[in-house]
Amino acid sequence: MKVEENGMMNEAVRAKNLTKFYGKLCAVDHISFEVEKGEVFGFLGPNGAGKTTTVRMLTGISIPTEGTAEIMGYDIQRQSVEAKELMGIVPDISNVYNDLSAWNNLTFTGKLYSMPKADREIRAKELLELFGLYERRDEKVETYSRGMKRRICIAMALINRSAILFLDEPTSGLDVQSVLAIRKMIRQLNENGLTIFLTTHNMEEASQMCDRVAIINRGKIVAIDSPEKLKRTIESLQSIEVAFGKATPTVSDDLKDLPNVNEVVKQGDKYRLFTDDPPMVLAKIWDYATANGLKIITLNTLGPSLGDVFVKLTGIQPDEKGIERRTGMGRGMGGRRRQN
Amino acid sequence: MSGRRLIREAKVAWTIGIKDIRIYYASPPSLMFGILFPFSMFLSFVIGRNMPITRAIPILIAQTLFFASSSIGPITIPLERRMQTFDRFLSAPVSLWTVLLGKTVAGFIYGIGISVIPIAIGAVFFGSQITDLLALVSGMILSAFAFAAMGIMFASLPGQGPGQILMPFNFVRIPLLFISGVFIPVKDLPYWGQIASMFSPLTHTIELVRAGLDGENFFGPLLSLSVLTIYFAVFVFVGIRFHIINQKRE
Repeated sequence: MKVEENGMMNEAVRAKNLTKFYGKLCAVDHISFEVEKGEVFGFLGPNGAGKTTTVRMLTGISIPTEGTAEIMGYDIQRQSVEAKELMGIVPDISNVYNDLSAWNNLTFTGKLYSMPKADREIRAKELLELFGLYERRDEKVETYSRGMKRRICIAMALINRSAILFLDEPTSGLDVQSVLAIRKMIRQLNENGLTIFLTTHNMEEASQMCDRVAIINRGKIVAIDSPEKLKRTIESLQSIEVAFGKATPTVSDDLKDLPNVNEVVKQGDKYRLFTDDPPMVLAKIWDYATANGLKIITLNTLGPSLGDVFVKLTGIQPDEKGIERRTGMGRGMGGRRRQN
Repeated sequence: MSGRRLIREAKVAWTIGIKDIRIYYASPPSLMFGILFPFSMFLSFVIGRNMPITRAIPILIAQTLFFASSSIGPITIPLERRMQTFDRFLSAPVSLWTVLLGKTVAGFIYGIGISVIPIAIGAVFFGSQITDLLALVSGMILSAFAFAAMGIMFASLPGQGPGQILMPFNFVRIPLLFISGVFIPVKDLPYWGQIASMFSPLTHTIELVRAGLDGENFFGPLLSLSVLTIYFAVFVFVGIRFHIINQKRE
């Protein structure tokens, strides 16, 4: 057990050999990891990898087949009350009471945590104001948009002034505005000292938000490190992204034939050329375009993205929404743009 | 468990019960299986039969207690499992006992609230009298708790909605009506029928209600109260075990 000099535990979460079988199917396979206090820890994996099952075991909703989990030093099975008092949970769907108002949803949750009346009302007001919902506090939640329900769900998880917040796909299925608002909120909460356990299948989200990331696939953790360190492990996976004004049908094959090009992937109207020698390939692309009368409208060199790490470790191609995109000379598709 | 913790858990159970009352009492499945079903079964039994209303009222009380109390758990729990709101209780800092006690309280209040209506109608319009208040009140309270716990136990069956729980549950509830001295008093049943009826909790409900309203009783109030207490304990214990099994499986 990792212990600080003053003897206090430094881990907010400690999972040891956590395992879950559904019949004969092993959904989570003897995973062990630690989450330090105050960090944003990402739990990244494709659908069905075991992310939600892990969160359900960590939060005491589901009983593990094997293994143990500790929250702030309390065993979630043997000291469940103490452990649960310190956590807040936002599940993958907004499990709010649609027939109750936002105010009643929050105060009901406060009662579940045995908060005194005055305290839960102060906290409910504070959270509704923070989440911009105080004006609509008396309306039934069934009238709320999906983004508003998500915000209420997060507020409910914070009512007990939790020390650790479990967020399972918090932005999944939301519009861009809500996604940005929720990410901003998570950052603020973390800045205020809250430990965040963020489950996501969105590489961009994990890369932007997390101090460390665990990649889980088929119930097993395949890597744990900071996003940048994970990217560095496959630094050799460099690529060039190019888009032409008007591409001919043979462009893809022609680019494959260029020297030092290992692979060409067509991504929308762009081509991504994987190479060990980007300067050489850049020159060759330029020569090719000039010789064939093609106008280059986008040309970027890309480093590996968290998406690339994910693909390399899991062998699964994520959907395009999950791959990092950044604006630059043109619209990038995956990969980290180099600062040249 | 310390006294302070016990009070805290009791308050949370009450909170869960009150929340269920607010959200689910007026929901269509509750009205249908908790009120419409026992009343229509009662009417189909008594209409056309030459039965004095004062003899029919205990049947109605027992039926409404039975159906109303036992319906709330199988309605609320599958719905909350589907909406994942049940996970809120499982992740809250309270024991599973407290959560299920809260659900039981919701069924208990529903059963008592509805079965008081026929008592009031009998007393106000038909002059029925309470001969043994203790038997009536204790019988109703214990029955409502036992049937609510029975519903909670069945609600642990895997299913995506109340219909998937209530359908198989009715395969148990309806046959119980026929061996419980509801339609034919226990004293008029054949010997094997009397033995069988002794094992039905509903028998002891109607026995106690009849003891309370017209002084008629076959098994004796003490035996009936004991049997209902044992059933309540068994339903709670088995219900908890089933829910823990669910947590291990899900």
